Amino acid sequence: MPSAIEAIEALATGFATTFKHLFRRPITEPYPEYKRPLPERSRARIVLTRDPDGQERCVACYLCSAVCPVSCISMQSVEREDGRRYAAWFRINFARCIYCGLCEEACPTAAIQLTPDFEHCERDILKMVAEKDDLLVDHCGKDTAYNFYKYAGVSTDVGDKGTHVKEDKPVNVKSNMP
Amino acid sequence: MPNLIIDDLPIEVEPGTKVIEAAERLGIIIPRFCFHPALGSVGACRVCAVKFLQGPFEGVQMSCMIDALDGMVISTTDAQAVDFRRHVIEWLMLNHPHDCPVCDEGGHCLLQDMTVAGGHCIRRYKGSKRTHHDQYLGPLLQHEMNRCIQCYRCSRYYQGFAGYKDLGVMRSAAQVYFGRQDDGVLQNPFSGNLADICPTGVYTDKPSRFKGRRWDFERTPSICINCSLGCNVTVSARHREVVRQEARFNDKINGHFICDRGRYGFAYVNAADRPRRAMVGGRPADIDDVLLEARSRLARTMAEFGPQSVAAVGPLRGSLETQAALAQLSEAAGWHSPAFYVDPKAAEIAAMATARLEDKFTVSLRGIEGADVILAVGSDPVNEAPMLALAMRQAVRRGGHAAVIDSRSPTLPFEHEYLPVAVFELDVAVGRLVNFLCEDVDTQQLPAHAAAFVDECRKLPDGRFDVYLQAIARRLLAARQPVVVCGSDIVEPATVALCADVVLLLHHMGIDGKLFYTLKSANAFGAARLGSPAANVASVLRSVERGTVKALVVVEKDLHSEFPDHERLKQALAQLDLLVVIHYLDISLASRADYFLPATTIYETGGLYLNQEGRLQTAPAAVAGGRPIQQTGGGAHPPRQYNRGIPGDTPQEAWRLLLQLCGEQPAREPLLHRLEDTFATPGALTGASPVPPEGMRVGHAVNGVAPFHHDWQAALARHEQLSRDGQMLLVTVAQTFGTEPLSCRSPWLEALTPPATVRMALETATQLQLAAGDQVVLDIKPQPLTLPVVIEIGMAANVLALPRVAPHRMARRHFLLTRNRIKKVDAP
Ligand code: SF4
Ligand code: SF4
Ligand code: SF4
Ligand code: SF4
Ligand code: FES
Repeated sequence: MPSAIEAIEALATGFATTFKHLFRRPITEPYPEYKRPLPERSRARIVLTRDPDGQERCVACYLCSAVCPVSCISMQSVEREDGRRYAAWFRINFARCIYCGLCEEACPTAAIQLTPDFEHCERDILKMVAEKDDLLVDHCGKDTAYNFYKYAGVSTDVGDKGTHVKEDKPVNVKSNMP
Repeated sequence: MPNLIIDDLPIEVEPGTKVIEAAERLGIIIPRFCFHPALGSVGACRVCAVKFLQGPFEGVQMSCMIDALDGMVISTTDAQAVDFRRHVIEWLMLNHPHDCPVCDEGGHCLLQDMTVAGGHCIRRYKGSKRTHHDQYLGPLLQHEMNRCIQCYRCSRYYQGFAGYKDLGVMRSAAQVYFGRQDDGVLQNPFSGNLADICPTGVYTDKPSRFKGRRWDFERTPSICINCSLGCNVTVSARHREVVRQEARFNDKINGHFICDRGRYGFAYVNAADRPRRAMVGGRPADIDDVLLEARSRLARTMAEFGPQSVAAVGPLRGSLETQAALAQLSEAAGWHSPAFYVDPKAAEIAAMATARLEDKFTVSLRGIEGADVILAVGSDPVNEAPMLALAMRQAVRRGGHAAVIDSRSPTLPFEHEYLPVAVFELDVAVGRLVNFLCEDVDTQQLPAHAAAFVDECRKLPDGRFDVYLQAIARRLLAARQPVVVCGSDIVEPATVALCADVVLLLHHMGIDGKLFYTLKSANAFGAARLGSPAANVASVLRSVERGTVKALVVVEKDLHSEFPDHERLKQALAQLDLLVVIHYLDISLASRADYFLPATTIYETGGLYLNQEGRLQTAPAAVAGGRPIQQTGGGAHPPRQYNRGIPGDTPQEAWRLLLQLCGEQPAREPLLHRLEDTFATPGALTGASPVPPEGMRVGHAVNGVAPFHHDWQAALARHEQLSRDGQMLLVTVAQTFGTEPLSCRSPWLEALTPPATVRMALETATQLQLAAGDQVVLDIKPQPLTLPVVIEIGMAANVLALPRVAPHRMARRHFLLTRNRIKKVDAP
């Protein structure tokens, strides 16, 4: 007996909710005529951002490609004259990417970032394979301050030994003074 | 034997075993930075702390510093020990740079692993980090000193294990620095091992810099074929490119390390100019068509001129399969037996060395470390078989004594006695040694032929080195484990036989002497067994010139770089009806051949190899064939196209091509049977059990070469040749870098190769009225050479040494020169 009453109660609440909505203003958005601004951290199309000083952030450390569960990132790392490590080429196969955001989480330099731009769809699958030129943007993305080479110990155009954040002057090995 | 308990598991170990090793035997890997099985313990890093619960020690102690003793009860997981290790990691990180993303060690870094394992992730220390300047250390290693954790492995390896002095430790306390006095190229031909043993990213491999992370590499066990020792390596490949080689432990051969020739000698496999297409008369063609056409041409030549009109030239450092295919096909078709050696003497020497190496004489490379007396005859280890030098050094470090009898004043990283004896005088010197060995021996006790031999040695005239030879003989007689090392590069066949006789004589005298030959190259052993000593390239060329050989099949051999008389070679080859070349390098012969077939390297298809000890090892394929992506993409991103094929994957194993060339099924099984027959080891290759990881000895001695047979007349005549007519002996010699044909294609080693010079003792130079730095013209065939003179202290008199570096890469080993054929070039 109590179960019959519960069932009726549940049905009634359901119908009541539906009935209430009949008198609300509709919230359907006529996409693509109207494009709703998405939260900054929603996860879609991936970009490679730059340092505040405009240099490529990605040091081609291979971490994002290692963490990617569908193995859609590949790259080749090389060294620049001034000691910077960067990607000679960097490729993301968006046809395979599942937009999980793990690459962004793994990235130690804040280079790779997912953006809200989800609208890309192609008939030719090769057009979904993005190269470095397609990925590189000229802004910092969500992190406007971080510059990896200011914190690392290696010498680059950003700084020599002993000039990075919280570093002592290099030891003079030819002296015995403490 | 101590009995102890580690983490509740009982174990019994030999006295002197450290606790860290005892635990390892139980499968418990205690963290370590400074401890290394080849370098021992120093207790520098403190990360191996464990808790001793019962027994002679109590509390938290370093497991690498304490010998396992009876009654110990140890916990590696005790909270106090774990906490201690966690703190060690944290303090090691205080000064560590924020480098992982740009550090090539990342991914296989011991420090990274331990940091993650210890759970240290947030930096609590608020102070600043000490920093260091880095040094330029040459083309092989990159230095990044900030990352050091002061484990001292590098300096212990460099100075202690390897015996070179130009890298070490400076300053004290937190400012300790590992490097050189000043920037400069490392002087150690085994320096690449630093990248393997440094547990952090201080020394990283330069040629593979930034080429990828360990997890992206296809890693395959393989064998080094840059000399006859056959050290074990691990090959790392990525994107169809071999990017790095590391040492792989083999308890019987190289131990934990390899030399730089082996480590960095692989560049040829990735070379952009490697021929990857079959060719007809220099024009690319489909490989199946080429095979078909070449096959019918070959058949026609045989039909017209008989099978003896075909000769084959084969590789020394090719796989055993290729050598067996050559031997089998030549035999079946009735061709000349295949020629593997260019120089007739070299073939004879190899045949002698492999025939005389009896089972009871053999000692592995690692076994040399246990020798108490080593006598090296006609051997220059660092230049001919580099890792031999390190093995000899370990013997000397353990109290052994080493004596070297050679002409070249070899530079060796250990203390040794050296007798400067000219190549042609070696036999007589060894004969005198036999005389001293048998001073107190009653020849009646010896077998008849041995007795006769000793009697002849007793008749040899006194020599300059008698005092030293007598001392060496005494040492040999008192030795527990003496080893005679004999080089095969510059000596005479007789010397090789004499060394075996010395060892056999020691056995007759109840001393367990060992014999260690080095051969000309990897698989020279196989070539010696599968080819006939009478067959050599020089005799093949003579037959071509006479017109008896009409068709020549050249397999993996670069005649141009080995045969110095290019004019003669060219004319001889022009006389041929048919020239088929199979090779994996861009040799000049490739485009001149009627038919060219591209072969694969050991990296692409692996193979079986025999080292100088007759030890059989197998190498699997390490990288799929095809042009590296680096090349197909021109350095930028890989091509944007889908296709099924791999560009440039036409090459096949040379033996496969050979069999097809002769119309046979390209099957490996029959070749293995053939090899089993040759080495009289039925079932060793085709049986169920695979070749064991440390290899197995299959190259047993062959009967039919009589010991103690020596032509002393000839030896004495050779001996006098130099002193009598004032002749000079020009010897062409090997050099660690620049003379081995595969590794000399490596740009990194090329940068380390010293320019060609002619070296001689001061007294020789004075006789010739030469001084260091003079240019001298050597009037030799086929063309005279002009070279700068270098004075080498300690070289034998009347001997000139010329490294076989390009462009003087010649097969001929000796030239006897009268003085008027050695002329100084006057400054303009
Ligand atoms: S993780 Fe970041 S820095 Fe590393 S390769 Fe990817 S994008 Fe570049
Ligand atoms: S040495 Fe190891 S821990 Fe240090 S930066 Fe390199 S990878 Fe990271
Ligand atoms: S450089 Fe490497 S091997 Fe040498 S002490 Fe430092 S961490 Fe150890
Ligand atoms: S010693 Fe010989 S086999 Fe060993 S690594 Fe060096 S070249 Fe290779
Ligand atoms: S491994 Fe024991 S102190 Fe370093």
